[in-house]
Amino acid sequence: MTMKTIDDININERLYQLNLGPQHPSTHGVLHFLLTLDGEVVVKAEMLIGYTHRGHEKMAENRIYEQFYPNSARMDYLSGMIFNTGYCEAVEKLCGIEVPKRARYIRVITSELNRVASHLLGVMDFVMGIGAYTPFLYGWDDREIILDLLETITGSRLTYNYSRFGGVRVDIDQTFCDSARRFIDRMRERFKLYNDLITGNIIFIKRTVGVGVISKDVALDYGVTGPTLRGSGVNYDVRKSEPYSSYEDFNFEIPTKEEGDCMARYLVRLAEIEQSLRIIEQAMNNLPDGPIRADVPCFITPPAGDCYHSFESARGAVGYYIVSDGTRIPYRLKVRAPSFSNLFVMSKIIPGHFVADLVAIFGSIDVTVPEIDR
Amino acid sequence: MLTEGQKKLLEELKNNLAKSVPEAKISQSDYVLTGYHLEFSSSKVGMRRVAKEMRSRRFNLETVTAVDFIDSFEIVYLYFNYNQDNIRVMVRIRVPKDEPPFTVSAVYSEAIWLEREVYDFFGIQFKEHPDLRRILNPDDADYFPLLKNFGKTTITGEIDDMLC
Repeated sequence: MTMKTIDDININERLYQLNLGPQHPSTHGVLHFLLTLDGEVVVKAEMLIGYTHRGHEKMAENRIYEQFYPNSARMDYLSGMIFNTGYCEAVEKLCGIEVPKRARYIRVITSELNRVASHLLGVMDFVMGIGAYTPFLYGWDDREIILDLLETITGSRLTYNYSRFGGVRVDIDQTFCDSARRFIDRMRERFKLYNDLITGNIIFIKRTVGVGVISKDVALDYGVTGPTLRGSGVNYDVRKSEPYSSYEDFNFEIPTKEEGDCMARYLVRLAEIEQSLRIIEQAMNNLPDGPIRADVPCFITPPAGDCYHSFESARGAVGYYIVSDGTRIPYRLKVRAPSFSNLFVMSKIIPGHFVADLVAIFGSIDVTVPEIDR
Repeated sequence: MLTEGQKKLLEELKNNLAKSVPEAKISQSDYVLTGYHLEFSSSKVGMRRVAKEMRSRRFNLETVTAVDFIDSFEIVYLYFNYNQDNIRVMVRIRVPKDEPPFTVSAVYSEAIWLEREVYDFFGIQFKEHPDLRRILNPDDADYFPLLKNFGKTTITGEIDDMLC
């Protein structure tokens, strides 16, 4: 009997499959990777999704517009405030409701606080995924302050139900503004700590620089949006290109990086936190007086027609497409989930990387699984 | 308010789309009320020609979805561009229930998953799609949840009772 050497073995015999997930700590929920491996190198990656599919789009067709408020934040539980506000703005666009300026400013403040919380979790989860546990705890500490702050006005910590058609539910007061200012000052101090802990860390640099490069063309082909797209050098942010709420009133920049690797996406997110703090500060300094809700009937009946409203969540451009047939119930409600497209690009960029790099790339794209599954 | 660049791009798009798909109806729409600048509607044809035109102008395919109008489907494509003159183009293609549309996944890879989702929820079998399988619903499901005859409730009556 002759022994087979490694060269004799057919390539197809050498390949084997590995299931990563659906229950795995680094898959942010229930996401299932079916990997075809050659040794430690991924040859083909397939993402199996749908484990948390709850049918929000079908639910919308079976309830009146007001009853869909709580559903909106449950799609992306990490930036629930942004989804909740976006849904209200989409319906306002459909009905032609004018929102008071104070309410729009409050929406900006709460959305940006939520974005900071989401980016903190996204960055820290990414860092923890590649082995650094300490920064995660510091980030969690900062995020906790935002959750406490938002809890005082909304009553919930993640799945907010705060925006209403024509305004918001509760006004913010001086105590809220003072706490938010204290948080901003604290957060600016913390950037130095994060840079020391993460950005300059040699292990972190080796794990992220040049890993998982998404080029501009691939990003366009796969419909990538959000910080992932801006990390690939495309200067696109819905807040600038189609200002909603009252983003046109504020000065802020869109941070972009040309490299397109994990490090670029991480740096874009950190820079976005700084920009969000700037926006919150400006909004609180110029907060106008006035009512927080327009005079809107208890139950709205939009005219027949359709509308598309796009807004920027912490993960990319979200869109609500609503078709109305002139009744109290939406005829069709479609949600464009940014994570859906951002995840699909992984099947293109993963092949050729190690399994360990998959965790880094997946963390740097920062998707939320319930938002993909809807 | 439209800028000069947007107006110019809109005119160009209108002419080019009318040239490549002569049977379509193209009209400008009120962006403030609808969220899109240009509306393109046609029956059965034109989705691939529009996609190629949009790709050559570096437009991004935002979403693909469908609406069930009982007697026919309306397939909806939304395009948006990244550069300064932002234009959103809404493309509606009416297709009969027994005659599925062609895929645009050869032009935009993103459409592979987006069209899989449309198939998953409406049962629309896109022609020439490379990988048409269930995506969010279970693989062995025998239903298409977003069809209007699936899970129909009498909620309208209940709400009217509640409000009176």
